Amino acid sequence: MPELASGWQTQRRVIKALMTRELLTRFGRENIGFLWMMVEPLLFAGLVGFVWRWMHGPEVHGVSVFAFVATGYIPITLFRNILGRSIRVFSVNGSLMYHRQIKILDFILVRFFIELLGGMMAYLFMGVVLNALGEFPIPADFGKLLLGWVLYCWFSLSLVLVLAPLSEYSEVLEKLVPVTVYVMIPVSGTFTMVSWLTPDAQYAVLFSPFVHAMELMRDGVFGPVIEAKWDVSVPIAASLVLTLIGLGLCRRVRRDLVVE
Amino acid sequence: MIICENVTKSYPMGRGRKHVLRGLDMVVRPGEHIGVLGRNGAGKTTMIKLIGGVEFPTSGKIRRGMSVSWPLGFSGGFQGSLTGYDNARFISRIYGVEYSKIREFVEDFSELGSHLKMPVKTYSSGMHARLAFALSIAIEFDCYLVDEIIMVGDQRFHDRCRIELFEKRADRALILASHSAAYMREFCSTALVIDGGLATPYEDIEEALEVYTHL
Repeated sequence: MPELASGWQTQRRVIKALMTRELLTRFGRENIGFLWMMVEPLLFAGLVGFVWRWMHGPEVHGVSVFAFVATGYIPITLFRNILGRSIRVFSVNGSLMYHRQIKILDFILVRFFIELLGGMMAYLFMGVVLNALGEFPIPADFGKLLLGWVLYCWFSLSLVLVLAPLSEYSEVLEKLVPVTVYVMIPVSGTFTMVSWLTPDAQYAVLFSPFVHAMELMRDGVFGPVIEAKWDVSVPIAASLVLTLIGLGLCRRVRRDLVVE
Repeated sequence: MIICENVTKSYPMGRGRKHVLRGLDMVVRPGEHIGVLGRNGAGKTTMIKLIGGVEFPTSGKIRRGMSVSWPLGFSGGFQGSLTGYDNARFISRIYGVEYSKIREFVEDFSELGSHLKMPVKTYSSGMHARLAFALSIAIEFDCYLVDEIIMVGDQRFHDRCRIELFEKRADRALILASHSAAYMREFCSTALVIDGGLATPYEDIEEALEVYTHL
């Protein structure tokens, strides 16, 4: 047990050091510094919100357009950023592999934590501001909102755990990822509630773990104003399987990694 | 002790694989200074990377019963875009050693002065060597892995290494890859000659150098 405890201590130390380094190299020490990490999701959600406001009017199916767009866009930005930052992360950071206590998983976890922090800060900030403007309700059920977030993030992480090592093996995959992420937006639950779709489309999108987590989050925010359809077992099962596969792939990629 | 058991390493090459090491067996005892000789591309750097845990062996086992430094060489270990000080801070964090202590030693040993405020990628090989040695000595390892880079230092660096590493820390083990016969004679007690993916140990440095020159 003492070995496990000291290993845990080391990993905490390493993740902290890597996070500091990542924040420093990405955001610098000037002006608002690491607060930049919540600016991108906010800008995205805000601007798309304005476009929707212009196209669809102030409300969609009884909820504020701004609130609906923001609840969808901030989580998907989070996923896209974690994935984008994790493609070929191992070979790019090869010089860090000189230090044995830095494990390959640390690279992904660090990027995950940073985006998670940025995304959650953006969500909170946006919620408070829109609420003050009367565009965002006090969440109907914080438990559901939080559980939805956890499932969404876990599924994002598990998918990245699989794709990041694969991107080291296949250049084709590396190039395809940005396009695929774009194409998957319809099955991410970002733009519609499941209940707004035709029965056939509903059947299809409910295969996506993202959709269940998103519906759960929105159920927590808007409550009975909307009709949410979710089943936690879908994202849990998918994340569990992908996490296990991903951990195996990460182990493998470490064995094969060639460091300059 | 460090024990390597039947360690092999191969890299993908076209459709097949390039076998760099074909079964390395060796033991590094505390305080032992081993010189590694071999022609360019023989596998010296690969061997040091495997012992340092930078890359993993294709097969075989490496057991580390003592703390081993990261390979001190021309590349790796540092973030080029960060300054010398930032690198020192990062390394002090991940090794759990107080930064103020390291900083003082690094400033004193490396004599890099204001260069420490510049990105490491702007350093010459000699400056790189001074920073790497300063940091690894400040952290204190039981075994030091040195890949060639000791040769690029100037006379003063050479003297300081001798004092700090070979006199004050004479009980530490050392694995030194080098082409320089003079360094081998000065720093190493035994030698390993790598040729054709196999490593042959020699108790006598002169004998190893003799074999090496006729490779």
